Amino acid sequence: MRLLFILGEIGSGLRRNLSMVISVVLVTFVSLTFVGAAGMLQMQINQMKGFWYDKVQVAVFLCNDGSTAVGCASGSATKEQQANLQAMLESPAVKPYINDFQFESQAEAYKHFKEQFSNSPIVDSVSEDQLPASFRINMKNPEKYEIISETFSSQPGVETVSDQRQVLERIFSWMNGASVAAIGVAAVMIFCAVLLITTTIRLSAFSRRRETGIMRLVGASKMVIQLPFILEGVIAAVVGALLASVTLWLMAHFWLNGDLSRQFLNTPFISSTQVLVIAPVLIALGAGLAGISSLLTLRRYLKV
Amino acid sequence: MIRFENVTKVYEQNARPALDSVSLEINRGEFTFLVGASGSGKSTFLRLILKEDKASSGSVYVAGQNVANISSWRVPKLRRGIGVVFQDFRLLPQKNVFANVAFAMQVIGKSRSIIRETVPEVLKTVGLEGKERRMPHELSGGEQQRVAIARAVVNRPGILLADEPTGNLDPITSMGIMGVLDKINQNGTTVVMATHDDDIVNEMRRRVVELKNGKVIRDEAKALYTSMIPVVGESRRLRDASGEELNRAQGAQL
Repeated sequence: MRLLFILGEIGSGLRRNLSMVISVVLVTFVSLTFVGAAGMLQMQINQMKGFWYDKVQVAVFLCNDGSTAVGCASGSATKEQQANLQAMLESPAVKPYINDFQFESQAEAYKHFKEQFSNSPIVDSVSEDQLPASFRINMKNPEKYEIISETFSSQPGVETVSDQRQVLERIFSWMNGASVAAIGVAAVMIFCAVLLITTTIRLSAFSRRRETGIMRLVGASKMVIQLPFILEGVIAAVVGALLASVTLWLMAHFWLNGDLSRQFLNTPFISSTQVLVIAPVLIALGAGLAGISSLLTLRRYLKV
Repeated sequence: MIRFENVTKVYEQNARPALDSVSLEINRGEFTFLVGASGSGKSTFLRLILKEDKASSGSVYVAGQNVANISSWRVPKLRRGIGVVFQDFRLLPQKNVFANVAFAMQVIGKSRSIIRETVPEVLKTVGLEGKERRMPHELSGGEQQRVAIARAVVNRPGILLADEPTGNLDPITSMGIMGVLDKINQNGTTVVMATHDDDIVNEMRRRVVELKNGKVIRDEAKALYTSMIPVVGESRRLRDASGEELNRAQGAQL
């Protein structure tokens, strides 16, 4: 009976304050979407780090016919130059820093290239001799990249030494920046949401002061008087959080796992099911914020 | 049932106290009128019983319990034992008669079956049978006050406090309301009624406690609105006073 009664009170409160309730829903929706987006970016960064850091290598590219680098003045790298480089990699000066290395010939490079861009028309316009052969080096400590770079970049037959990790770091720092920005926007929006919830609950308490006055006089408990107001705020915030979760899921499903993963084939994107981990967090966050701000408002504006 | 021991209530420092060391006992089943000019402390007296305000000094006992010792979460329990009626009825305009009375039972968690059984009984007691489905705006003032009384007593409180319940009603309707309050009193409920209505007090002949400037200046059993001992200068004070008091003075047998 009391539960039914409280539910009825919540219903009438929500209906009476419909426009305010909708604005609470929208503001929590937007703010929690930003919170969730920041969370998704962090998940994406971790996913990519996990995926790439094991695979990243320092590549020493050898000259081919089209190379323009200083070390390639004599044209394509010769067998001797290649053997010389291999000997250097096995020398005691370099050996302690690397785990292992493989040689990727032009034929192998072409094969990998075809695998990576199998869906792209670019495959047809590239021939085997346009791709450089390379030594792929797995570092013991990827931070020591400089040593390899200094040792090899001036050697004859070497076009360039590239650290794949540096490219990744740039992407990650950009993504980190984006997630910090998202958190910043989220913080401002959450502040708005809290203020709006506070105002809504205040209005709601004011428009129902007759009822609450009578409830007080006939001895209704504090919980029965306050709960409808608190739940009103919580329900609105949870609806906002659900909308945010759905939006994030749609983004992951149709954008990350749709368009983007078609464009960037070997980038591991987070799956839409991983987003479902964020949803409960958003809902708890929305409910918690609304609950606490309504409780504090009621303490000031609703005498019990 | 209600006992005041040297109770003083000061709202603002330096101002005259609203109640000034009042000591008074109201017994179970008694019907007591609280009379006195506006600002004499009648409403403060009622508020202290409800623990709406805290006494600045002295103790208020309700049903044997010092209200100062009741923790805030147990105040609702105290209030369940006290019904309150006001001059302005305070009904919920969007609820019908039945729902207005049932509201008082719903909010303290009474079951639907008990509500369905009790509310019609109480409405019968206050003389509103057959008007369960009416909305408050469809009722006369007297009928609205009867709904308010029904709501105040539906949870069977031991005490009924009435703050000028006939203040908005004409004399004949007022007499009807008094009949209802009398009936409730006869069923064993202690009634304390603050009023300006001299006709009613004179008609009922019950205990009268008169307050003036926060002090009890008269406490008589089976008394009249004004003291039977004439007070020199009192009638002139009434004539010089505000419009409300002038009206009352015209009604009183000076």
